[in-house]
Amino acid sequence: MKKYVLYLFMTVLLVSTFLMGCSNDSSSGSSGGSAEEKNNLIIGLEAEPTSLDAHQISDYNSSRAAMEIYDQLVQFKDESTELEPDLAEKWDVSDDGLEYTFHLKKDVKFHDGTPLNAEAVKFSIERQTDPNHPFHDTGTYAYAEFTFGQVASVEAVDEHTVKITLTEPFAPFLGNMAMHAASIVSPAAVEEHGADFTKNPVGTGPYKFTSWSPGVEIILEKNDEYFKGAPSVEQLIFKPITEAQTRLAELEAGNIDVMVNIPPDDLERLRGNEDITMNEQAGMHVWWTAFNTQRAPFDNVKVRQAVNYAINKEAIVDGILQGSGEIANSPLPPTVWGHNPNVTNYDFDLEKAKELLAEAGHPDGFKVTYWVPESGSGMQQPQAMAAAIQSDLAKIGVEVEIQTLEWGAYLDKVFVPADQNDMDMHQMSWIGDNGDPDNFLYILFSGAQWPTAGFNDSYYKNEEVDELLAKARVTKDKAERTKMYEEAQEIIMSEAPWIVVDHEKQIIATSSRVKDFKLHPTGVFRFANVNIE
Amino acid sequence: MASYILRRLFGLVPVLFGVTVLVFSIMHLSPGDPAKIILGPKATEASIAKLNTQLGLDQPLHTQYITWIGNVFQGDWGRSIQMKMEVLPLVAERFTATFILTLASIIIASVFGIGAGIISAYKKYSWLDRSMMFMVLIGFCLPVFWLGLLLQIVFGLNLDWLPISGMYSAGQDGFWDMIRHLILPAIALSAGAGAIIARMTRSSMVEVFSQDYIRTARSKGLKEKNVVLIHALKNAFIPVLTVIGMQIGFLLAGAVLVEMVFAWPGIGTLMVNGILARDFPLVQGVILFVATTYVAINLLIDILYAIFDPRISYK
Repeated sequence: MKKYVLYLFMTVLLVSTFLMGCSNDSSSGSSGGSAEEKNNLIIGLEAEPTSLDAHQISDYNSSRAAMEIYDQLVQFKDESTELEPDLAEKWDVSDDGLEYTFHLKKDVKFHDGTPLNAEAVKFSIERQTDPNHPFHDTGTYAYAEFTFGQVASVEAVDEHTVKITLTEPFAPFLGNMAMHAASIVSPAAVEEHGADFTKNPVGTGPYKFTSWSPGVEIILEKNDEYFKGAPSVEQLIFKPITEAQTRLAELEAGNIDVMVNIPPDDLERLRGNEDITMNEQAGMHVWWTAFNTQRAPFDNVKVRQAVNYAINKEAIVDGILQGSGEIANSPLPPTVWGHNPNVTNYDFDLEKAKELLAEAGHPDGFKVTYWVPESGSGMQQPQAMAAAIQSDLAKIGVEVEIQTLEWGAYLDKVFVPADQNDMDMHQMSWIGDNGDPDNFLYILFSGAQWPTAGFNDSYYKNEEVDELLAKARVTKDKAERTKMYEEAQEIIMSEAPWIVVDHEKQIIATSSRVKDFKLHPTGVFRFANVNIE
Repeated sequence: MASYILRRLFGLVPVLFGVTVLVFSIMHLSPGDPAKIILGPKATEASIAKLNTQLGLDQPLHTQYITWIGNVFQGDWGRSIQMKMEVLPLVAERFTATFILTLASIIIASVFGIGAGIISAYKKYSWLDRSMMFMVLIGFCLPVFWLGLLLQIVFGLNLDWLPISGMYSAGQDGFWDMIRHLILPAIALSAGAGAIIARMTRSSMVEVFSQDYIRTARSKGLKEKNVVLIHALKNAFIPVLTVIGMQIGFLLAGAVLVEMVFAWPGIGTLMVNGILARDFPLVQGVILFVATTYVAINLLIDILYAIFDPRISYK
């Protein structure tokens, strides 16, 4: 009888595995050949990409895979957030800063053979912004508001000229046009696949889509007709490997070539491994603890400064983050232009902290609650970092009670109007989008950006800062803007609405056969120029 | 028998209905807004409201439930908020992977568990029995993710005998390639279930060995092998079968950790990511799918009882 049951199980197992094999045959097309033979690059991602439709992307795993498929009108230069031409060979901006005219490169074709033209640009923007667009319902566009919030109209002037008119002058707009939501997609492909465009993406980029087996892998193949020249690597294979230790084992075994999110505790060991190259660069990221500046005790600037002096950032960055972050002295990362290194610096100084607390009328400290997420995009090691800050503050008599929440519930709790917010301190982080200082400073510190309208989570308000930031976003001259941002950072840091802790480094490990791999501050990969030895 | 099966099938309807209501309520009443999670902290109030309308999340809860359940009956399980794909094909494909893993694990667990249980019971209180039961205890206590990592490091990284993770090698989809990838996760997942099956088999067999008919069988000169495997095992098997049935359910649920560790493309990772993203249609779809499978397996086990023990009838 036992045999009988076993036979039954065996049969079901065999049938289901064969079915699985069959269904995969049809979805992934050609197969066979190992990575080395085919000049492939295998990338171990942290999670499965959620979309290959550039317009619907809101996470790194997706953009890292999808951005190889598309181009934008302008692009960030290698290793910087300065802009250079991409699909547009040049552009003019009207004197009032309202009209942007882009002149497209000729003879660029989408992977499906249709030509890139002004209509495709118009389609790509209006699909996201216009609720009455016939293909608006083919997706949800997380970044449309951010990227095109200032766009009043898009006009195809002729086959290769597009004019975009803004509702108000907005200096960071050109940077937005280099972002993923500004990718130009093939209108013909969207028309054909509708909502399933995310599984059948078509762009003009260096790699074209081949297959996507959910949970298993995404395969892209080189575009031999790429207008900037065909890439050298034949295939890119993106594999989701959630568990960091597993990803690490695959890298060390030589089964994957590129690994993201290395556990900090393993960094030292990997740095000593000859078969692996570590690529490190401070990213467009900042991690902080915000004070509720509208509530006692943190409505007092001296208390905020005191707490800032009490934090040993070096211990956090070296001890907890194992050097995977860079100590921050301004909310604006050094990789973004406008960064001001000469601002009030809160070097670890317990005496000064106690002094300031006494001046503020709290010689014996006080008790506060500190909200912390379990995990979250860009949050690094939230709980360990919270514990370090808690123990630092205990030394100046500030008793911190940590309350931990799951990320989704946490966001709900943090981003509420000031009068409903009953928390004293909480953690948050920000990852820049378009490489413009406005994308950090205006959004994070302008009085107009208090939740729920924006992201000013410390409810910071300073008239002078507000004026500087508002003026900087409509000024065309970059030198003038730089000055304004530098001044704003000075005021903000002296008033200490945050404890600015660190800028997370992007650390990507590659196997040593991967050559010419360069990190980009935006966190997106660029495999078009990579070679394999 | 047929009428029993029919009755049981009808009985599934209220159970599954309860499951849908429960899942729907838990997902929708838990804090966290899918639009806010999709759009990230960078979202404005207006864009959140717009997305909620687009997703139909601005409707009253009961309307949302009725719309959802109505569509489910017509085969439209909705579109995943996060993955932007249709739920049913996505869940079906990922569930197949979980099912293969679970099945392979239960086979390994049953073969080793029953085998160890029989030997232990037969050599009751010997050093063999004690050492086997000690191993079983270890198997039961090992956390699966730890065992998984250990297997990966030893057999994948150091000895290089088997693949470390995934279901297929990059760019391949062959059957034997999949089997090679299946071995380590299936072993990791089977440890706990195998231990429980072994213990149950042992205690059940010990009891049967002490009964009169076994003595009779032996005294009439039957081969010892037949006494153990036919006369004893068949009668000791009912409780073991119950445990196996329950373990299949636990394995389906417990596969999450193993799938995470081995990057096995099952429903585990799909569901965890779905829950974190408050992907209502996806999580509801996964749970409904798993619940249906679970009750179906239970039904199958109940039917198997009758085959093993003719005294059980379902009139």
